[in-house]
Amino acid sequence: MKANFMSDRQLLEIMAYSDGELDAPRRHAVEKLIAEDPSAAALHQELTACANLLRAHEPLGTVPETREFYWSQIQRRIAAEEHAATRAKAPKAPALGWLRWLAPAIGVAALALVVTYQQRPGPTILAVGEASSMTFTSEADGVTISWIN
Amino acid sequence: MPASLKNDYLSAPDDALVGWAQKGDTEAFEQLVFRHRDKIYARAMMMMRNEQEALDLSQEAWVKSWQRLHQFQGDSSFATWMTRIVINLCLDQIRRQKKMRAESFEQIEEDLGGVERQMAVEHVNPTEGLEKDELRKRIDEAMAKLTEAHRTVLVMHEFQGLEYKEIAKRVDISIGTVMSRLFYARRRMASLLQGLRRERSE
Repeated sequence: MKANFMSDRQLLEIMAYSDGELDAPRRHAVEKLIAEDPSAAALHQELTACANLLRAHEPLGTVPETREFYWSQIQRRIAAEEHAATRAKAPKAPALGWLRWLAPAIGVAALALVVTYQQRPGPTILAVGEASSMTFTSEADGVTISWIN
Repeated sequence: MPASLKNDYLSAPDDALVGWAQKGDTEAFEQLVFRHRDKIYARAMMMMRNEQEALDLSQEAWVKSWQRLHQFQGDSSFATWMTRIVINLCLDQIRRQKKMRAESFEQIEEDLGGVERQMAVEHVNPTEGLEKDELRKRIDEAMAKLTEAHRTVLVMHEFQGLEYKEIAKRVDISIGTVMSRLFYARRRMASLLQGLRRERSE
């Protein structure tokens, strides 16, 4: 039996009827259609039986891991997310934050220093031992400062 | 929680375990995981059809449920609440993978007007010949043959028990699309199950 002579709307309404999704006027219209048209009745029977069959026989599954391993993975994820949340909430260390504002000034000073040395008549060579440097790095602020004597 | 109660995890109802877990008792939560893990995994597997993804999403669902446990008010059963979480995660994953697009010939056919109109009406009789477990297996095999878009709507309606309106909202499609996908999915399932039975009887 083919169900291809009914309109799309009628086909869908038969299904909606079997799912209890129609309002009263549409429900009565579909009931009339089912009563009068054997193909509509057959379609209604098929859709209802299929839905009932599926609901009564939902496919089962088994986690393909042991209880302990499965739970340990969940525990690890929970711990990782809690750790990440704690880190996100923690206030950033304010210390040395001001150095960020000094970075452009330090850059300009370094440039000026290079230009000054280049404009001197003779090269200035610092013998090994005469030169000393000190470097300060703040990873939190992404700043590195070098002092050269 | 008193120490004596700790021995009662096995026999305690879900509500009691949820109550303890809401107070931070991880052992009570572990018992909930143990009780419902197969169902949650099965639901994810039905949606994703991929063991690794299903495993990953089912675990993610448990993590989410632990984080949101304080939101659980007991309006539905804990199992229903959990399946809702895992279905939502599956939908997010499917969206990320952009698998909801017209992805196959079947989807195109549906959009053009529906091959389901041409299918002969089948008389599906669940009790005929097949054992329950065998039938579940056959249904699972038949569902694997549906497109993701059709399977998603079918799972949400038949197994999750959601109304058309709710499915439309969650999947972000129109109610008309929900109905046409569900109609196609059911007709195809009826046809596939009938075909499997015919193969078996030959």
